Amino acid sequence: MIEALQFEFMRNALVAGLFASLICGVIGTFVVVNRLVFLAGGIAHSAYGGIGLALFLGIPYIIGTLAFSLGAALIMTAVTLKAAHRSDTFIGVLWAVGMAVGVILTDLTPGYNVDLMSYLFGSILAVPSAEIWWMTALGAAVLILTLVYYRDLIAISYDPEFASLRGVPVGPLYFLFMALVAVSIVFIIRVVGLILVIALLSIPPYIAEKYARSLGTMMALAVFFSMIFNVAGLWAAYVFDLSSGPCIILAAAAGFFISLAADLMLLRHRKNAFLKG
Amino acid sequence: MNEPLISIKNLYFSYDHVPVLENVSFNVAEKEFLAVIGPNGGGKSTLVKLILGLLRPDAGSILVFGKPPSRVSHRFGYVPQDVAINRSFPISVMDVVLLGRLRHGGKKRVTGSDRKAALDSLDLMGMQGYEDRRIDELSGGQRERVFIARALTTDPDILILDEPTAGVDTAGKTELYSLLRDLNRTKTIIVVSHDLMVMSSYVTSVACVNQQVYYHDQGEVTGDMIDMGYQCPVELIAHGHPHRVLKVHGDES
Repeated sequence: MIEALQFEFMRNALVAGLFASLICGVIGTFVVVNRLVFLAGGIAHSAYGGIGLALFLGIPYIIGTLAFSLGAALIMTAVTLKAAHRSDTFIGVLWAVGMAVGVILTDLTPGYNVDLMSYLFGSILAVPSAEIWWMTALGAAVLILTLVYYRDLIAISYDPEFASLRGVPVGPLYFLFMALVAVSIVFIIRVVGLILVIALLSIPPYIAEKYARSLGTMMALAVFFSMIFNVAGLWAAYVFDLSSGPCIILAAAAGFFISLAADLMLLRHRKNAFLKG
Repeated sequence: MNEPLISIKNLYFSYDHVPVLENVSFNVAEKEFLAVIGPNGGGKSTLVKLILGLLRPDAGSILVFGKPPSRVSHRFGYVPQDVAINRSFPISVMDVVLLGRLRHGGKKRVTGSDRKAALDSLDLMGMQGYEDRRIDELSGGQRERVFIARALTTDPDILILDEPTAGVDTAGKTELYSLLRDLNRTKTIIVVSHDLMVMSSYVTSVACVNQQVYYHDQGEVTGDMIDMGYQCPVELIAHGHPHRVLKVHGDES
């Protein structure tokens, strides 16, 4: 791994992966505790429409994906606030429409684009230096906004009615939060691709939740786990010459199953200890 | 005659064109201890949320301190129904109580005085030493005390509790209501509850809610109301010192 770092693309990949971990840990924690994993999946997949649009118009992919994921996030939020019991249907529809639009626009674009796989499964090893910089800026903006509104976000996640009595603008903040999720997803698509984004947003916070006594510790733990998965995945991809995105996800999945097994063993141990008395 | 603290006039409310409350009018005075009773689905929680300004009436008016409720929301301490809150949310007792100091003095960060206020409220509710526990590790009664502590941390004039004793055993209920009686010395209290037997000696008025509201200012629930199909869990309210609410048939079980 150390000798791999002499390559610029490897250093870039590591930086992008570690930074993505920060975002996954913080935003993913809010996504998991608010039970928004399905909604995050919807935003990620509708972003595919943006990739198609970017190819079709010949604009940078980031503009297309940002436009589509932000648009999808705003519509899903509006539906969730107005008719929560119908939101899963709307998420499913936008999920499919985004992907269909993406495929159609790619069909309409002259020439065959071989790079599409990298958007579906990530291309962290191909992150150019210039992109690292604005990705960093975007990620920093997400983190700073989250920290500024940290208490308000906890309040609207845990008990929106109480928050509203304390004068917190619940509706506008919910939209802001969803926009932050959308921007984070665009960022993470570069690392693990839009199909795998949900795993990186949900697995580290899920494991962290079991050991955390507060939301703050849950975030810190989720960031830590996510960094381990990213580094382990990248290392496996480099050593065995495999695709980096799926390697990172499998590393996360391994962590997920190890934590489940550890829980079961602990439970059995406690039960035995209890029976022996 | 003092100006009433809460004044409700000809209030109507419906969900999706299904009427929930119709032509509701009553006043709540300062330092009153109002019990809101009635059958499930009768509109008790809705009435409370209208008073809090969380819902807006279709018609009629609610004034609190002479203003619309949403303008004075900082003067309410609200203890919502336990079931309305995501129970598996990973949050510490301290962080829950600190929500009561949200937007206090316009500061975004948690200050030392916020922590002190939170600890003081926990202390008052007999929950000192629990501040670092996760909320889902507590029993129903302990959780309820934390929610009341959170409401008290807002330093409210009016304390509103929605079924605070669901999942609390009889001894816990008695203790909880005697705490509320102490708080009633300085605060107006509105409590939605089925526990008339337990809180009978503390309440000063009763509102019976089933689409319409019958308000009894230390009065009696008359046979007329029962005839009108109110199905309140109480059938008679007796006068006396202390004022008591009695069940005619002691066979609730």
